[in-house]
Amino acid sequence: MTVAAIPSAFDLAHCIPDLKPKRRDAALAELVGLAHQSGSVREAEPLLDLLLLRERLGTTAIGKCVAVPHARSLTVVRSQLVVARSKRGVDWNAPDGQPIQLILLVLSPAEATDAAHQGFLARAVAVARLQRNRQKLLDAPSFEIAQRMRELVS
Amino acid sequence: MSAHGPLVQLHDLDLLMEEIQAPEARGRLKRLGFPLEGEAQLNKARARLTAAIDRRWMTLYDRARGRYGRAIVRVRDRVCLGCFVTLPTSVQPPPAEPHQLGVCESCSRILYWG
Repeated sequence: MTVAAIPSAFDLAHCIPDLKPKRRDAALAELVGLAHQSGSVREAEPLLDLLLLRERLGTTAIGKCVAVPHARSLTVVRSQLVVARSKRGVDWNAPDGQPIQLILLVLSPAEATDAAHQGFLARAVAVARLQRNRQKLLDAPSFEIAQRMRELVS
Repeated sequence: MSAHGPLVQLHDLDLLMEEIQAPEARGRLKRLGFPLEGEAQLNKARARLTAAIDRRWMTLYDRARGRYGRAIVRVRDRVCLGCFVTLPTSVQPPPAEPHQLGVCESCSRILYWG
């Protein structure tokens, strides 16, 4: 996937500025629920099961209070990024033991190739790795998170 | 979840397992910082899913997967996205279960009405 195509996967409706759950599974359920409500995902339950299985393969927390859960599924209608911010932090079994404050859920439809899906994933990871980007997202007023994310990937 | 939810889950799980078994894709994931240590867990989950799926559907799934790589394809505008043949009007999901699965009469792939 080209960088230019990524901003289309961003939408104001796909941000949770203040995520309430403190546990990983409940947090993922909330993100998937939002994607389902917005029409990017046909069925929430199989996708959530897949994301939880993916976590059993190895944690998707990448350190520095960031997690990038990801999935490619038949239930995903179009590529979508869902951003969530947790002020209290989510217990995610991170390699550095830190609670997760920023979650970037990367979703691709089943038709996406390995390279396209991983390209999308790599872009999200690259954005989250830079300290100044993380700070911009963590400090953004609720209504500006999607706009900040759009600026960071473009 | 649809009546054939486990079949959809199996498809997605197979897609994930293929991805992590492909050396190039696996290498990219590792470079991105994702550990891939729990493959045995995925094998167990796959065994549980296949045990829960009706044998008729499993036969169709295995046959289509062996032939095409991916056994389940989406239907868009009444077109099978596997073989791109327009489906006859007699083939449609029941209104109560919009995500029901079917079988393409042209290529025998399993159809997902997503």
